[in-house]
Amino acid sequence: MIKALGYFIAIIKGSLITTRHFMVNMWFHTLKLFRIKTKRKGAVTIQYPEEKRKIASRHRSLHRLLKREDGKPRCVACMLCVTVCPSECIFVEAAEDPDPEVQKVPSIFIIDLSRCCFCGFCVEACPEDAIRMDTGQIEFAEYSRDKLIYDLEKLMG
Amino acid sequence: MSEWIIILIKIICALVWFLVIALYLTWVERKESAVIQDRIGANRANIWKFRAIGLFQPFADAIKMIFKEDFTPKFSRKFLHNLAPFISFFFVAVTISAIPFGDVLRIGGREIKLQVVDFNVSLLFVMAMLSLGIFGIILAGWSSNNRYTLLGGMRGAAQLISYEVALGLSLIGLILVYPSLKLSAIVHYQGEMLWGWLPKWGVFLQPLGLLIFFFAALAETKRVPFDLPEGENEIVGFFTEYSGLKWGLFMFTDFMEVLIVACLLTTLFFGGWQVPWLYADGFHFPWGGEWLLPHGIVVAFQVLAFNLKVFFFCWLQILIRWTYPRFRYDQVMDLGWKLLVPLSLVNIAGTAILLSLIG
Amino acid sequence: MAKILIDERECDVAEGTTILKAAESAGLQIPHLCYHKAFMPEGSCRMCLVEIEGLPKLELACSTQVRDGMKVSTKSESVIEARKGVLECLLADHPIDCPICDKAGECKLQDYYEEYGLFESEFNEEKEKRQKKIEIGKNLLHDQERCVLCRRCVRFLDEVTKTRELGVFQRGVHAEVATYDGILVDNNYSGNLAELCPVGAITDKDFRFKTRTWFLQSRESICTLCSRGCNIYVESHQGFSRFSLPKRVYRIQTRENQMINGFWICDKGRYDYSYLDQERLDKIVVNNSEDPQSWQEITSIVAGEIGRLFHMKRSSHIGLILQSWLSNEELFLIDKIFRNDINIGKISFLDPPEESSDDFLLTAERTPNRRGAKEIGFDLQPADWEKFLEDVDLLFVFASPIKGDTDFSPLKAALDKIEKTVLFASHNHEINSLFDMVLPMSLIAEKGGSLTNIVGSVQGFSPALDAPGNCKPAWQFLVDLAKKLMINFDFYNQFSSPESIREVMKKEIPYFREEHE
Ligand code: SF4
Ligand code: SF4
Ligand code: SF4
Ligand code: SF4
Ligand code: FES
Repeated sequence: MIKALGYFIAIIKGSLITTRHFMVNMWFHTLKLFRIKTKRKGAVTIQYPEEKRKIASRHRSLHRLLKREDGKPRCVACMLCVTVCPSECIFVEAAEDPDPEVQKVPSIFIIDLSRCCFCGFCVEACPEDAIRMDTGQIEFAEYSRDKLIYDLEKLMG
Repeated sequence: MSEWIIILIKIICALVWFLVIALYLTWVERKESAVIQDRIGANRANIWKFRAIGLFQPFADAIKMIFKEDFTPKFSRKFLHNLAPFISFFFVAVTISAIPFGDVLRIGGREIKLQVVDFNVSLLFVMAMLSLGIFGIILAGWSSNNRYTLLGGMRGAAQLISYEVALGLSLIGLILVYPSLKLSAIVHYQGEMLWGWLPKWGVFLQPLGLLIFFFAALAETKRVPFDLPEGENEIVGFFTEYSGLKWGLFMFTDFMEVLIVACLLTTLFFGGWQVPWLYADGFHFPWGGEWLLPHGIVVAFQVLAFNLKVFFFCWLQILIRWTYPRFRYDQVMDLGWKLLVPLSLVNIAGTAILLSLIG
Repeated sequence: MAKILIDERECDVAEGTTILKAAESAGLQIPHLCYHKAFMPEGSCRMCLVEIEGLPKLELACSTQVRDGMKVSTKSESVIEARKGVLECLLADHPIDCPICDKAGECKLQDYYEEYGLFESEFNEEKEKRQKKIEIGKNLLHDQERCVLCRRCVRFLDEVTKTRELGVFQRGVHAEVATYDGILVDNNYSGNLAELCPVGAITDKDFRFKTRTWFLQSRESICTLCSRGCNIYVESHQGFSRFSLPKRVYRIQTRENQMINGFWICDKGRYDYSYLDQERLDKIVVNNSEDPQSWQEITSIVAGEIGRLFHMKRSSHIGLILQSWLSNEELFLIDKIFRNDINIGKISFLDPPEESSDDFLLTAERTPNRRGAKEIGFDLQPADWEKFLEDVDLLFVFASPIKGDTDFSPLKAALDKIEKTVLFASHNHEINSLFDMVLPMSLIAEKGGSLTNIVGSVQGFSPALDAPGNCKPAWQFLVDLAKKLMINFDFYNQFSSPESIREVMKKEIPYFREEHE
């Protein structure tokens, strides 16, 4: 009996919590309706396409390949990113560079973003600091999968 | 002739009121749940960039539902399958005809009752119609010819029939107090005063009855704490094989039931259209004050009071739906048979004894 | 015999053995760069320093001989310190451009740094600049910055090929490996240099930048491009799940076998591996179009053709043209089925003509198993083709995997007239279209079996690659065929693998009974 009473009280409490939320939030919504500025808001929602959340400095977004001063990719096609990528979504083919100090450049560099899990391992693995995920670009959804396969040109921007 | 026209107008008004409010209950549900959960809720539907805090959402939903593929599984019993949602819908929709929205409106020497039809047994009529709604559920479950929907239908039938008992019994006390089965009469009785100042509302005379009725009615609506017949996102239930508009009808019926429950709660336990101390000629306060009002204003007050009470109970039901987790099936049955039914019997006995003592 | 203690481990080795070899025989690895089993110790890299009890200074394990009762420590503090020092010196003058170095992943310098180095570099000065890309041979590039001056390459050319194209010039920090007077390393064994170099100073143009070593899977096999039967590793890429690669095999490496090829292979064996991937025939072709029938159905058809002629007592109208690309087991089966059981009478070999040999490994015969065929009892002389093909009703031909090495022109004219012709091929040749039925065969690298090399050594091999598409090893097909023929079912039914065939072979042919390994 006492136990049942306890349940009953808990049930009432539960509805009081939701009621409180409703009332408080409604209050701030109403204030806003009358254009009264308050610090707190009625909802924590970010209205996405119009309002955007600030991207944290360490946020991992779309990849980019860095360039040397002369515009060539910094990447030397060492394939460490290929090796480390858990999704196996990077493909690199190397080519010869006439400059003996560079020697190796990527002729093909593909990231299949439809498979990428944005773990950032490729960035960690790169010995040349040639790949980064700091573009802050997170809106690159596409209607077809093959458009998500980014090649050298697209990644160098 | 004019009698018929008036009846027709009343039917149309009542139905429009019923459907529009039920339609907007979907909006209210979204918004209320959003506010409870610190969100904003649906606000994107717009007409020429005019969003009106999502007020167009129900229409957008309706349009979507209409244009969705109306899929009837090959293996179903086609006719009954198509019929089921309409049965559900129909039996809920007709109950509105018995609900009194106000007292009488006098226009041009004519007295118009603000109620579609005033049966002698309107309470029984409402209860009967609500119970018939179960057929829709069973039919849907069975005619889909899918064992899961059938099980869902059976669960629904068992739950609704169980709570029907408690629902019915909880009202007997009320009928003992207000000796009538006529809803308009019950509302009139509630206009009387106890000790000269306390309205004789059901909530004061039948508090236990109210509780039982409220719980049982919640179960009847098949919504969240009691959504075992079909829990959209996890329990496969009786309308799994429906899509498009017919699926929409089932969902919509749920909201209509919410509204009907709110109407019944208002009518039976919260004085219906009664406003405390408001009489046909205006307010007569217990401390002796008076505020006389013209007839039209009084009627407006009454209708407004009814609506406000109904909205409050809709709000409350939605709040409950967004507060509690679902019951387990055995808990549902325990609550119905082991708690509500005995309690309602106690309520009847208590009420009867009390009444006979008072005389 | 000398008894010595290395790291508390006792080992018995012959008097005169070096400490490094003794340690290796005891299962202990001592790091070394300049030492290589093939050559006399050089003692130039100082990686192999060990501590010997009673001696004041650390000694070189590669060149110090053991004495009875010697106590050697390879893990003492001073040894560890010394190794670190040596590595630090080496790396101070090293470009450490591992990302673009083809050796990365199998580089001794990398391995030793991981194992014994792991110091923070204190070398802040500019590194010595040297030439990074010198062409020193037709397949070789030299990076002077990466060279650790171990002189392995120089010694190889001095001692093994005796061509002496490379030498060490200058002294001290300026010392560098280079060719004499700009002549190129151009001998048939130059490819070994890239493999021999412990670091990435000499790299192979053929493998250059194609992939990274750690992607490769190395499996044992035998080179089949001449009849020496050099032991090799076939290194193949397993591929990526989402991107297709142009080929499977990226390089051939040597596998040590002192009886046959020592540590080396010739450039032909090393570089001519493209046949493993290019233009492979991987489907059954009937009347010049891909055939949907399964191997089982095809085998039944072939068996039916043979059986028909056999029962009509016309087996002498069956012809069979072989090539010594077949393994001992397959030749044995052919001998059993076609000579013993059906007695077709017309069997001949059509091998590619001999080419010039060199006086080291490469032989004149360009097929791997002529000796095996001879030992099984085949006549290897090419037949008089015109006579051979007269009144042949059913002809089977095994084609060579190397495009254009065999002259099929004597057959061409007759093929049309023969009622039914079946070709067993691993590649798309132009002659394929002349045959009624072309069946895809696995290569030696894709199946198991054994080969007999020119001097008579019988060497077993197992698959180093997966057979592509619908390819089947010839022995498997022959066993299935023999079973379908139902002439000697029980005999063939016992063959489930090349090993089981070899067992029977050993019993039946005296040559294979003796050990020729
Ligand atoms: S972020 Fe992770 S999954 Fe994506 S490409 Fe880089 S390593 Fe691969
Ligand atoms: S790890 Fe860096 S340098 Fe190496 S291939 Fe990837 S991006 Fe290029
Ligand atoms: S030789 Fe090549 S892999 Fe080895 S340490 Fe030097 S650069 Fe790195
Ligand atoms: S090129 Fe290689 S093998 Fe030759 S000396 Fe230099 S490191 Fe040694
Ligand atoms: S291995 Fe002994 S000094 Fe180089």
